[in-house]
Amino acid sequence: MDFLLELLQILVFPGILFAIGLAFVYEWLDRKIYARLQNRVGPLYTGPSGILQPFADFIKLLAKEDVVPNEVDKPLFNALPIFALTLSLTGFLALPIMDLRGVISFNGDLIFLIALMTLICIVIMYSGISSANRFSTVGAERAALQLLGYEIPMMLSAISIGILASSMWVYDIVSIQANSLWFLIGPGILGFAIFVLCGQAELERIPFDIPEAETEIVAGWLTEFSGRKLALFRLTKDVELLYLSGLAVALFLGGPSGPVIPGLEFILYPLYFLLKTLFVLFLLTTLRALFARLRIDQMVNFSWKYLVPLAILQVLIVRVVV
Amino acid sequence: MQEEELQKTEKKSAYELFFDIPVGPQHPALKEPAFFKFRVEGERVVGVDVDVSYNHRGIERALEDRNYIQNIYLIERICGICNVAHTLCYAQAVEQLHGKEIPSRANYIRLMVEELARIHSHTLWLGVAAHEIGFDTLFMYVWRDREVVMDLIEMLTGNRVTTAINTIGGVRRDVSDEAKDKVKKGMNILEERLKYYRKVALNDPTVNARCSGVGILKPKDAIRLCAVGPTLRASGVKNDVRRDDPYTLHDEVPFNVITFDTMDVFARVLVRIDETLESVNMVRYCLDHMPNGDVRIKLPLSPPVGEAISRVEAPRGELIHYARSNGTKNPERYKVRTPTFENLPSVSEMLTSKSDYEVNIADIPITLASIDPCFSCTARMEFRDVSKGKTWIWSLKELKAHCSKSRR
Repeated sequence: MDFLLELLQILVFPGILFAIGLAFVYEWLDRKIYARLQNRVGPLYTGPSGILQPFADFIKLLAKEDVVPNEVDKPLFNALPIFALTLSLTGFLALPIMDLRGVISFNGDLIFLIALMTLICIVIMYSGISSANRFSTVGAERAALQLLGYEIPMMLSAISIGILASSMWVYDIVSIQANSLWFLIGPGILGFAIFVLCGQAELERIPFDIPEAETEIVAGWLTEFSGRKLALFRLTKDVELLYLSGLAVALFLGGPSGPVIPGLEFILYPLYFLLKTLFVLFLLTTLRALFARLRIDQMVNFSWKYLVPLAILQVLIVRVVV
Repeated sequence: MQEEELQKTEKKSAYELFFDIPVGPQHPALKEPAFFKFRVEGERVVGVDVDVSYNHRGIERALEDRNYIQNIYLIERICGICNVAHTLCYAQAVEQLHGKEIPSRANYIRLMVEELARIHSHTLWLGVAAHEIGFDTLFMYVWRDREVVMDLIEMLTGNRVTTAINTIGGVRRDVSDEAKDKVKKGMNILEERLKYYRKVALNDPTVNARCSGVGILKPKDAIRLCAVGPTLRASGVKNDVRRDDPYTLHDEVPFNVITFDTMDVFARVLVRIDETLESVNMVRYCLDHMPNGDVRIKLPLSPPVGEAISRVEAPRGELIHYARSNGTKNPERYKVRTPTFENLPSVSEMLTSKSDYEVNIADIPITLASIDPCFSCTARMEFRDVSKGKTWIWSLKELKAHCSKSRR
């Protein structure tokens, strides 16, 4: 029975099916908010207010011809979209949604979660290189450089919260924030800002959409992917967006915790999770609308001049508080 | 840079590997058929090869087969965005052949529509430039406000883009008093919005980071390479056909020639925004000082034998039309020189890395866009025999001789 329940949790709620469905809704919200910020209407026709547009795009891409150029590294080229989606979905399973602990939860899972993000980026690099396309190669090169820029401040800001909770277990981090409002908004606020900015870079969105800069290198590392593979990569990006906002919520905003009526946790926790991730999504989307794209050297410069020192400052603050 | 020179750079890389990045003829940064081959070393551009001959439309030849009235509409289609400049230039050339002056009110309307088209062109460019640096929000906002001027052009001329207002001997439509009021209101909105965009361009850190120090063209090089229009003025050279060789009423209507001395893309952004503000003032002046009277004189279809040159400051720079008449109803020879063609050598200069500044791949789209290219107007021909590796250019006479030979 336990096994069945666990399987249900992994496959349906709060697992894969929920993640994919929610990812589509979040993509729609992201597009809609972005459009409203630009004085446009955004998706409108598919479903009420265009809510089904991302799903329709996905289905359309699945039906398109899947071109595999002759020169690509075929095994890698075919496998990478699946790897990428698997990685982001695995990450989502470890997020606390229904409970203060995720479906997968073990001591030290924070390190695992951060490693997953780096792995996704490495998958991206390989997709660029395996495509054997000039634009893809430049995109892969940029993805690697960008990883050098944002990875360390992102890790430092996440780890500073670990230091605060004296644990590398997301469950511990969420519980300590659930029990005290001070830990929720006090010492981690700078880390939250750094995390959101680096998340923007991880997700390759403006101002850090350098590896897939449309006007410069067509679609960057994505250029050669079409049909099903492109659909999977786009889904990966959506799930990753959800995963990153979920992780930011779990680390800095107390996860799914909040005032609860005993007995109703199973409804209220996911609700709090949704509200908090929506807040993070709103931040990420607003950032996307505010800036021009940076150049790769400017991005790495910015990161090492400002983000890394600030992240170290965050660790120091946490040390002093603890 | 030519192919041979590109080959020479092959051996001197620290990476030991150069590769070529093709930009165009299909590329998201350029919506028009031109081909740029960039030799890159990592992110750095070391060489560039330009080819614009993708869309030879044979317009000059086609003009010789049509009469002067039909040609107005063909000339208009050389370039969608500069269509007012082209028809104005054409009408001036033909009127010069006839040796006739047009009524003053027609001149005012011509100038007003010309400046409205400049506003439309420059705001369009500002949006495109914002898109090239990935600032889509600015792009959407600018294009939203551009609708104001588009609506005014539609109200005055009957068409949004291809205005068809200038004709030989004057303009086709008069301007009513209600229309004047609407234009005035529209100018107020545009002035306010443009001042806001000027502030955005000056204060936004990411716009600054992407535009300052990029695509530098020194005044010396700009003059040597015959740059024209805003590209030249952004290098600090005070040059504007409207001031240097006034046509229509540019000697009466006051305006400033805007120049900037930072010589980079940022200067080109600011020059264009400020020029648009000048245009707003010129439109207002025209509305206030427009005399009453006819807007058109009738001219015969065939002008007398002779030749004429007319110059217009199109939004992209100096536009030259040359016409030769042999007394029939068709021109004997017509020649158009568009500003983009003049600016191409400069753009290849801007995109070449030098000792004091480096060109990155990321700078390519905005630098290309900074001359406001319109490649459909530029195709020229040269011949290349691939098997012999020989390149040559034919004169018009030789080309015609060859064509008639092959027709037989």
